[in-house]
Amino acid sequence: MLVLSAISIPVIVGFGYSALASVGVVGPAAAGFTLRSVINVWRDYSTWQSVGWTLWTSVSATFVAALLAIEVSVRAPRQNRVVSVLLAPLAVPHLGAALAFLLLLGQGGMLSRLAVAVHLTSAPADFPVLVGDVVGVGFIAAAVWKEFPFLLLVALSASAQQIPQSIEAARTLGARPSDIRQRVLRPQLWRAIAPAMVAVFAFLLGQYDMAALLAPTRPTALSLLTMERWSDADLSRRNEAHVLGLLALAMVGVAVWWQAIARRHTHAESS
Amino acid sequence: MRHQVVTLAMGVGALVAAACNQPPPADVPAAAMALPWDSVIAKARGTTVTWRMWRGDPSINRYIDSWVAPQLQALYGITLHAVEGQGAELINQLVTEREVRRTVGTASLLWINGETFAGLRRENLLAGPWAGRLPASRFVDSASAIIMRDFEQDPAGFESPWGQVQFALIFDSARTPRPPRTVAELGAWIREHPGRFTHDESFTGMTFLKTLLYALGGGVSQYAGGFDQTRYDAGRARLFAWLHDHEREFWRRGEAYPRDVAALHRLFANGEVDFTMSNNPNEVASKIAQGILPPSARALLLQDGTIANAHYLGIPFNAPNAAGAMVVADFLLSPEAQFEKMRPTVWADGAVLDVSKLSGHWPLSFDSLARDAHLVPRDSLRRYARPEVAPEYHQQLQQDWRDSIRASPPKRE
Repeated sequence: MLVLSAISIPVIVGFGYSALASVGVVGPAAAGFTLRSVINVWRDYSTWQSVGWTLWTSVSATFVAALLAIEVSVRAPRQNRVVSVLLAPLAVPHLGAALAFLLLLGQGGMLSRLAVAVHLTSAPADFPVLVGDVVGVGFIAAAVWKEFPFLLLVALSASAQQIPQSIEAARTLGARPSDIRQRVLRPQLWRAIAPAMVAVFAFLLGQYDMAALLAPTRPTALSLLTMERWSDADLSRRNEAHVLGLLALAMVGVAVWWQAIARRHTHAESS
Repeated sequence: MRHQVVTLAMGVGALVAAACNQPPPADVPAAAMALPWDSVIAKARGTTVTWRMWRGDPSINRYIDSWVAPQLQALYGITLHAVEGQGAELINQLVTEREVRRTVGTASLLWINGETFAGLRRENLLAGPWAGRLPASRFVDSASAIIMRDFEQDPAGFESPWGQVQFALIFDSARTPRPPRTVAELGAWIREHPGRFTHDESFTGMTFLKTLLYALGGGVSQYAGGFDQTRYDAGRARLFAWLHDHEREFWRRGEAYPRDVAALHRLFANGEVDFTMSNNPNEVASKIAQGILPPSARALLLQDGTIANAHYLGIPFNAPNAAGAMVVADFLLSPEAQFEKMRPTVWADGAVLDVSKLSGHWPLSFDSLARDAHLVPRDSLRRYARPEVAPEYHQQLQQDWRDSIRASPPKRE
């Protein structure tokens, strides 16, 4: 309990400062309570473009990584050599992963040069836009590559600890292996990695390094937009960065709340 | 339970002890600035100076770390500690430090110009005046409008000049044997080569847009004499019309822009675009030497005029070592440091000294350096140089460009 309060006090102080700054009470250009920053952010079209793009990429990357993690752990419930190789990206920092995908998928990158070499394309511009694109292919690919090993680890530890009992029970009741996979293993794995998925979603939402290299100009990632407001020459726009930060926190809060509700719902179902 | 309480108490105690371990209060910068020069040097000897500057260029870093720092160590026993920090980030940090009443800051010297200087002065974050107290300041080219006015502001001794640059386009003479020489020719070239031109979102890109603003508006004289909203609105309308006209032929049809000039250099080096830009045309020479740009790369000054500006050094209000900072600034202004900085293999940054005020071999050395084949000829630079105007133009243009050009989808007629 003491440790929890020791960790949460700085977070609460930071959150409180941000909340006060977004209504103009604190901050360098603070002129007293005003909703101007909130209104400016609300009215700005690029805010919502940013939120949309960031939500799309974070959610899809999380789900794709989770799907892959579950499929692998269903087929290889114990950590073997193949799985060890799949876990390798854990050691690579996110910035390194972003750079690698930029060098691989960019129009001036390795795949593009290969395409020119085999006469599939004749110029860098002919190669499809995979990084800095509106759909976020490059960003999602890099995010999946980085987050899949993490979710795989979580899924594997769930596989090893909680699930064997349920499988044993299903087998004694006469279930076929495919039934076991579909109706026992997979649902339990999804439930087990759900908290980790929320963590991954929250992380990708606020990711700066990968967005700086792989996100498009328009719409841009929420973290980049926040930094832009924070570094604006006009000091009063700094408070808009606080508003955007709180907006991101709110989205994470919704995800956490949703996961808590879903967990309570499944517990109610199973009891 | 007792165990946990004891552990927590120890942890808190350690934190409190660390927090109370403040560095000894340094003298207020004003005190150091009032001393005679010998006392300043005596005070600075054996100290450390933390200098916040842009660390994004390896050539500049090498000049500072491998030449300036050892010289300072040998001459004055000063340890120079160069760290990253520029623009709005400097202003942010100093404002925050003032908010928490931190009288002893982290940096003693800042590399600044233009809107950063304007912001720092507006918020009273700089100590001074001090620049005139440097012995080397008597060599500064005080007749140069580029040096004596920072974006039309009077440095007033709150910043000391360090170098000067001029905006230029960079092209590959092998790929583009007949480059455009004026803004009009550039427009036509972009039409004929769709997808091969763009600019970045940051400082260099905005300087390019300002160059266009001046050229399309009938010259920089239209914008001199402080910020004028009406003139700005008219100029912006013309500029944005030109941009809308050519957007579809920009790289990626104007839907994406490289984030900063380094990303643009990368696009150029990869062959994705045929032009890049720089605020320092002579960096072509140093970048070719490093193998970043192809040997056939050349600098191009648009004949409509390109923006020239100077960059400076400032001392923040809470500098822990103002005396050391002044000694460093004085050394950087010396003929030795200015000459070394100007060499094409080092940085190729323009000197701010009036060569006629120097003695000994210096006038001859500077002259022969200026005639180096790798540097853009000095008379070309001078003929096409246009001074910066009030910083509000830059700030508003950046804001409006982000809101109008970058935000909306390009018009498709």
